[in-house]
Amino acid sequence: MLNIEKRANASELTIALNGRLDTTTAPELEKELKASLDGVTALVFDLEALEYISSAGLRVLLSTQKQMNRQGKMKLVHVGESVMEIFEVTGFTDILTIE
Amino acid sequence: MNEVKGTLAADHVTIALSGRVDSNNARQTEEKIMEITSSAAALPVVLDFEKLDYISSAGLRVVLHLKKTYPALRLTNVKSEVYEILEMTGFTEMMPVEKAYRVVSVDGCEEIGRGANGTIYRIDQDNVVKVYNNADALSEIQHEREVARIALVLGIPTAISYDVVRVGESYGSVFELLNARSFSKILAKDPDKLDWCVKEYVDMLKKIHGTVVPAGKLPDMRETALKWAKFMRDYLPEKAGSKLLSLVEAVPHDDHMIHGDYHTKNLELQGDEVLLIDMDTLAVGHPVFELASMYNAFVGFSEYDHEVIKAFQGFDFETAQRFWNKTLAAYLGTDDAKTIRSVEDKARILGYTRLLRRAIRRKALESEKGRAEAALWKKELLELLERTDTLLFTRNELEVEAATDNLPQVISFLEQKLEEADCPPKAQMQITMAAEEIFVNIASYAYAPGTGMASVRISFADEPRMASVSFRDSGIPFDPLALKDPNVSLSAEDREIGGLGIFMAKKTMDELHYEYRDGQNNLTMTKKY
Repeated sequence: MLNIEKRANASELTIALNGRLDTTTAPELEKELKASLDGVTALVFDLEALEYISSAGLRVLLSTQKQMNRQGKMKLVHVGESVMEIFEVTGFTDILTIE
Repeated sequence: MNEVKGTLAADHVTIALSGRVDSNNARQTEEKIMEITSSAAALPVVLDFEKLDYISSAGLRVVLHLKKTYPALRLTNVKSEVYEILEMTGFTEMMPVEKAYRVVSVDGCEEIGRGANGTIYRIDQDNVVKVYNNADALSEIQHEREVARIALVLGIPTAISYDVVRVGESYGSVFELLNARSFSKILAKDPDKLDWCVKEYVDMLKKIHGTVVPAGKLPDMRETALKWAKFMRDYLPEKAGSKLLSLVEAVPHDDHMIHGDYHTKNLELQGDEVLLIDMDTLAVGHPVFELASMYNAFVGFSEYDHEVIKAFQGFDFETAQRFWNKTLAAYLGTDDAKTIRSVEDKARILGYTRLLRRAIRRKALESEKGRAEAALWKKELLELLERTDTLLFTRNELEVEAATDNLPQVISFLEQKLEEADCPPKAQMQITMAAEEIFVNIASYAYAPGTGMASVRISFADEPRMASVSFRDSGIPFDPLALKDPNVSLSAEDREIGGLGIFMAKKTMDELHYEYRDGQNNLTMTKKY
């Protein structure tokens, strides 16, 4: 189960994820992003309530990062311990901006 | 040529036709029938087709006219050739039509199986006949044929009867069963094959229990068990009686198939194919109901008098117990004695309930042995009821179609098992994550572009505490651990989208092991916690 909450402010978009970002839910996030990233120059993922991320979730973050590299910037905030560990072992700490 | 002969009975009139009824003689035939019926007032009419070889559409119209005047019209002793015509034209659905039955003798035939409602004999090299205990068994035969067909369509290998015959005063249904041997016979003759028999027997059991039956097609075993529990309230102390009932009530409805009489006489080896027979008890329900009847077949029935099993199965009590224990371990997917005994206890509660009810209803308590047997079952039942709070259990193994849609089922199975084992949340998360990566990998590649089954099995160990999860599939041989690890130091632009999953599993698990064995991919991951 994944809950996706969006808060937009002009060209700034915050997406708060709550639950699990896995093979089952990643396509939902992908769809949501596809519909919302037009004209966004600052994207923030609030991962405070994200309990779990699998490689399917990482792939969505990676392709979103690639897109934002072209149109602005992207950062992750409030990353919890267990999700952080996954970012570390996969080297995502080096390619994502994590606050 | 046709001859029409009437016989008047007290409550009906029988009219026998013979030879052919076609356009040449249909009118005369009808007139003769009218003559007979008009002298028989308004009594119901039975047409006896014993000597009728052929009926054309002109003849069928005669039958139709008669049906209008006599709505209770019945046809009896119909030869196969004529029955086919009646079936094709829909007559068998408009009126009761009884076939003429071939007569078969089972004198001197080998008994190869015995079930709740009949005995199976081999009548020649290729055929067996199941003779029903009940003299008026036609509806039972119909039922068994129906459920066997349902099972076959759902993928359970079974034999379907192709003919109904008379055997003395009873009915029998005939099956083709070429040189088949029952598992009981194999076990009795060749005890070294026990492990092989257990494996095949458990594989079939899992297949049955993994089959979802469309609603309403088969009886619900839970309803039956509720009846047993209610019946037993009169024979148990009040507290025990109501506990028994509430335990059965708490078993949820389950739409998976159960055989209902799954013992080794009902599993046949034909060539290298394993066939399930004696399908009349087929039902839907929680597997605990199946385990209960299995417990009875191997242990319960012969728990007081160990000789009983020998007469029933052909092997001794010790073999039966070994078979049952190994079966339960393999079925549950665990070697943990405590887990196995706890599931056995649940099965025994229902098993003893059934045995006691049966003994009471069959007046077995009138004999000394019957009373002693029942006393043992009752004592065990009361003890079990004291210490058991649920009849539910889940196996340590899950078998599902290898499809990403089934991922949530795999994850929740593992989460439940990890939770039961008191695995800390962080390790739980890492294990389910690694499992997701491996399962998704199997779902995406093992059978592509087709589909197939995958099994997930979990086991635990103490000192150090750890969980092992094994995945098995019969897809193309593929070792995901041999994949090159992705370069995790590249920039976002240069990073590949794939290959991360297995890498994450490698990084978070303590051990990953791959092996291709017996035509299957086996991947086991272990995590200490």
